[in-house]
Amino acid sequence: MSYRQASYDEPFIGELRSGTTYKIPGKVEPDALMDLPSGSLRKDLPLPEVAEYDVVRHFTRLSQMNYSVDLGMYPLGSCTMKFNPKFADRVSTFEGFSEIHPLQPERSVQGSLRVMYELQEYLKELSDMDAITLQPLAGAHGEYTGILIIRKYHEDRGELDKRTEIIIPDSAHGTNPASAAMGGFDVVEIPSGEKGTVDLEALKAALSERTAAFMITNPNTLGIFEDQITEIAKLVHEAGALLYYDGANFNAIMGVTSPGLMGFDIVHFNLHKTFATPHGGGGPGSGPVAVRGNLKDFLPVPTVGKEGDRYFLDYTHPKTIGQVSSYFGSFNMMLRAWSYITYHGSDGLKENTVNAVLNANYLARKLAGKFKIPYKALKKHELVLSTENTGKRALDLAKYLIDHGVHAPTVYFPLIVHEAMMIEPTESVSKADLDQYADILLKSLDEQETELKKMPRNLSVGRIDEVRAARDLKVRWKLE
Amino acid sequence: MSVNQEHNEMLNFLQIKDKNDLFSDVPQNVKKKGLNMNRGISEYELLEEARSYSLMNKGPGMTNFLGNGLYDRVIPTSVDSLIGRTEFLTSYTPYQAEMSQGVLQSLFEYQSLMCQLTGMDVTNSSMYDGYTALGEAVRMAYRVNEKTEILLPETIYKGKLEVIRSYIAGLHVKLLFYGVDMKTGHIDLDDVRSKVSANTSAIVCEQPNGLGIIDENVFKLQEIKKDALLIAYVDPISLGILMEPGSYGADIVVAEGQQLGIHRSFGGPLLGILSFKNDYIRRSPGRIIGESVDANGKRAFVMTLQTREQHIRREKAMSNICTNQALMAIAAASYISIVGADGIRKVATLTYQNSKKLRSSLSSAGKLSKGQLTGKPFSDVLVSLASPVEKLQDKLFDRGILGGIPLARFLSKGKAEAIPNSYFFSVTEKTREQDIEQLVRTLEVIS
Repeated sequence: MSYRQASYDEPFIGELRSGTTYKIPGKVEPDALMDLPSGSLRKDLPLPEVAEYDVVRHFTRLSQMNYSVDLGMYPLGSCTMKFNPKFADRVSTFEGFSEIHPLQPERSVQGSLRVMYELQEYLKELSDMDAITLQPLAGAHGEYTGILIIRKYHEDRGELDKRTEIIIPDSAHGTNPASAAMGGFDVVEIPSGEKGTVDLEALKAALSERTAAFMITNPNTLGIFEDQITEIAKLVHEAGALLYYDGANFNAIMGVTSPGLMGFDIVHFNLHKTFATPHGGGGPGSGPVAVRGNLKDFLPVPTVGKEGDRYFLDYTHPKTIGQVSSYFGSFNMMLRAWSYITYHGSDGLKENTVNAVLNANYLARKLAGKFKIPYKALKKHELVLSTENTGKRALDLAKYLIDHGVHAPTVYFPLIVHEAMMIEPTESVSKADLDQYADILLKSLDEQETELKKMPRNLSVGRIDEVRAARDLKVRWKLE
Repeated sequence: MSVNQEHNEMLNFLQIKDKNDLFSDVPQNVKKKGLNMNRGISEYELLEEARSYSLMNKGPGMTNFLGNGLYDRVIPTSVDSLIGRTEFLTSYTPYQAEMSQGVLQSLFEYQSLMCQLTGMDVTNSSMYDGYTALGEAVRMAYRVNEKTEILLPETIYKGKLEVIRSYIAGLHVKLLFYGVDMKTGHIDLDDVRSKVSANTSAIVCEQPNGLGIIDENVFKLQEIKKDALLIAYVDPISLGILMEPGSYGADIVVAEGQQLGIHRSFGGPLLGILSFKNDYIRRSPGRIIGESVDANGKRAFVMTLQTREQHIRREKAMSNICTNQALMAIAAASYISIVGADGIRKVATLTYQNSKKLRSSLSSAGKLSKGQLTGKPFSDVLVSLASPVEKLQDKLFDRGILGGIPLARFLSKGKAEAIPNSYFFSVTEKTREQDIEQLVRTLEVIS
């Protein structure tokens, strides 16, 4: 193994002293600030004074100490780290898109509105939902927007006071209970059944006239399709509650089935997952929310409408939950998602789904002999294995993987599987990459635990003391 | 070997004949019949189509007076170049810290630089945008003291207020509004004083305020806030010259960071900056990067205090934040590093200088009514025009000028009418004298 990540002893940018070289145009008049009371002015401004070339080298060196999807497999489960097409980068730099203020006259932004309108139509078609907002800025923000719609729906029916609970399976993404609680609901967690899917009896027992909604993702976080989804939808609706679709795992089913066909009422998408917009080391994301026709009036404003050839911002939703972010959403991410969908089209999108599922199943089968892969065999976009039977810790194996130049899976999630590794290869990896990944993971089992604990050794730093970071809290440098 | 052959080998390994069998667990009655959209196209065709859409937009190259939150500022080419590096661009949240030191140190530097700029102890590693960060700040204040009243200026923009309302929908807190003097443009301290009580969770103030004015009274709020937290929503560029919130008693500082090297892109992605005092760190939302050491004692960075977060604490988490705006935070860190202390001071000073020039040019051309705000604007120059402002934005646009926004776009009609024909023109360091002259000339023609 000859993998080595770059490793620099890179100082804090503020410690570089080469002096600012960048030129801001314009001439400051000597008395420019004289009319402001001195009490309004700051006394000092302790910021870096570094030459542009040093800043570029500093951040470039830092970038070399960072793995990315352009370097190889990045199979974080539920994160859908697929290849981010370069044409979308290019499109996002077109001046006619990047240098536009959101409060310009409507007729001067017809191109942007057209992109948004077409993306709305695309996402409605893909989800079989009736109406949509592009405004939420991330998946969790989309969830929260969905929660606000759930509130408003029950309020409108005079039932908000009694519908105080949201049911969530124990395998759910952490954002689901967090978003529900943020919206003032009590979270009722139900256990998964023996097959790893929703236990209908547990669901029936939890549903009541207090239930506001049931939030699930399908396939779930075990990568298993909830095949009783029609029955689930019926039960939820009979109880007078709404069914919420967490779209984090939408890449597994796009073009094959849809939340609308399955009976969901509200759906959020993660454009940075399913539609390949780059995740930038943690964000930006984008989390559009689509709803059935009976919930359309509650959507945030504005949405984008079309009349003849003219696109317009539509503020008419009569019972709107209002505005949920500063403007109309993360336009640049919408533009990239629009590019991705337009490029792949009806044929390519479905093919991507099928290949993503093929890759997950292939990898599952390659690993099944050595690792325990709980629940049923047929996976969708991701597989969850347990390292428990191997006597090794998932964390140690993760460090072995990263030491060999591939990114680790999500570990210790979902919470219902001990020593879990959640692997989502996506469609954009070759068989050779999958074989290599399986080989590395299988070989890791031959390593002694004492050796594993010393890993990683080939990265810019060795194993980091996380406890110390939280105990001796240091979250900034000071610049005098 | 073609891709299909590779797939066939994989299918053989799985002992599956047809790829569709991979979906045998999806019941027939929910299978999709097909997708009602066009088939895929080539990259070349896509770029052409996207370009044609971009050309339907107008704005680049026009004289620009649009601001009120997002601004057309100088962006060093190096900023775009750095955040375009695919190691940053195409990485995920740094869950495997040892493999992600680049993003982690960059975000740690962002946190540090924002603390320097705001004068606060801690900055988290970013929020979605300014408005949502303000919503989170209000929630955070409630978590800190569990008091039920939030005081807001009556000149807070409608959109900002709606976002705050959306963030407190599940909390039992009440919004109360304090007055703003529509002659000076300063907040009414007596009114704030009369409304601060034992129930006040937080006082939200803005600097510059909702009327665009550098508000000297905001600096005095610390004297009357009692036990309430002071949340300051600030313009980060203005901090190049104005007193930093850490020096006037702010407990939480919120800002929209777009001006720090980020393109406007029709409103997103933006950057929510959230800074606060050390005492509140365990009640704070979002992700925080901390410094530690590796097994060999070498300095290293990790996401820390994760027990506040949704993936661990679930319904008891401090926020539901998972994705944030990491890349935009790196843009801001590199922007500040490149333009430096002198650059930010110059950008801020030129902005203030240009706002004065704009106001005096409009005034000497007789375009303004008699009653003008006596307070001093920073970048958003609110004027009371001598003639009606309806359709003014459209008329200016027809003559090659982007800008200006009526105050009524941001405040309720009643409030906006307190200043007749009230209208914003915004300036930046890019505004040139000939731009202001063009605006004045154009106003001569159309009003």
